Amino acid sequence: MVEKVKFKVFRYRPEDGGKGFYKEYEVPVKKGMTILDGLIYIKENIDPTLSVRYSCRMAICGSCGVRVNSLETLACHTQVLELKRRVIRVEPMRNYPLVKDLVTDMTPLFRKQKALMTWLIRQDNVEQENPTKQYLQSEEELERYLQFTYCIQCGLCYSACPVVSTFPDFYGPQPLMKAYRYYADSRDEGGEERVRLVDRFEGVWRCHFAGSCSAVCPKGVDPALAIQLLRRSALKG
Amino acid sequence: MLARGVSRSSVIQSLKVMLIPGRYGLERWSYVLQRVSGVVVSLYFIAHVLETGNFVGGITVWSVPDYSFAERAYEETVKLLKNPIFDAGLAVVGFLVALHTINGIRLVLAHFGFSLGRPRRPEPFSPPPSFSSKQRALFWLSISLAVFALLYTLDSLMKVFRP
Repeated sequence: MVEKVKFKVFRYRPEDGGKGFYKEYEVPVKKGMTILDGLIYIKENIDPTLSVRYSCRMAICGSCGVRVNSLETLACHTQVLELKRRVIRVEPMRNYPLVKDLVTDMTPLFRKQKALMTWLIRQDNVEQENPTKQYLQSEEELERYLQFTYCIQCGLCYSACPVVSTFPDFYGPQPLMKAYRYYADSRDEGGEERVRLVDRFEGVWRCHFAGSCSAVCPKGVDPALAIQLLRRSALKG
Repeated sequence: MLARGVSRSSVIQSLKVMLIPGRYGLERWSYVLQRVSGVVVSLYFIAHVLETGNFVGGITVWSVPDYSFAERAYEETVKLLKNPIFDAGLAVVGFLVALHTINGIRLVLAHFGFSLGRPRRPEPFSPPPSFSSKQRALFWLSISLAVFALLYTLDSLMKVFRP
């Protein structure tokens, strides 16, 4: 059965320089159709000027992050009929510079990730160049960081964070969670250096535990938990 | 006056994000209540110090006035403040002080990593470990005690629960 649902989509053209506006589109919807399907329908049949970023369409790549009815979600991961609304408001993510319509510039997120050295740090450079052994981990050591590896870097948590909104220098949930992911990894040797990087005003101390990051994560990752654990490590020194 | 690079619309947007909990859940409500109660209690504290400072001569406190001045200032202040609007305001302050204190203890515990769950593999439809039942119980405890403080203050000032 096909239903008509109104999509109220945020439109922004950088060349106009204005604040942006909402434009309404009527979209025929059937069971199983996602928000992304609706946006693609609009682009293909009603308004080809609409810009939306997407790739895999199966909640793997994390490209299609948007705000649907004031809540961050992946457009490909949200079914229209499950929302049980006749009007659906689709907006770009917050806390990122806007490129056009629903497309945001993710540079701040990746810049902060880089600043926190979110990669495995090892001291044995010779071994890394010419590996001769494996790095075994127990089940317990794996559990310590495994849940944080499910992050697909969609940036929804960064958009939902009220602290980033009020204090843009805050590293934000995803980069700090990523820092903890490597800090908790038994193979990593960057412990003290990592804690030094996050032990600052714009680091772990600025998180107020609003929990919105964990509430919106489409992969069930818990950045709020990672930040509190990182803060405990910073307190221990 | 706004700092360079900060527009009025961005300040309004930030305030909206800070003050409207939206659909993010209980933890976001806790965040908003903690911020609002912190600001209100700080403003109340400043007003309270100014008000009680009048009894001893306000900013001329270092040359202490005679007792009759303090008595007169006290009587005038009591007369000004003794009305249902200020009493209701004090009851709200009682609520906010209790909430900020007890919820603050919950947050300090969380910041030290206590009362949170352990990292575990994500499972569909299960809440994240940081939204542990202990954390939520502590939040509702802080709300309950804050409501008790509100009722107790109302009863002390306006005797609403006495025959």
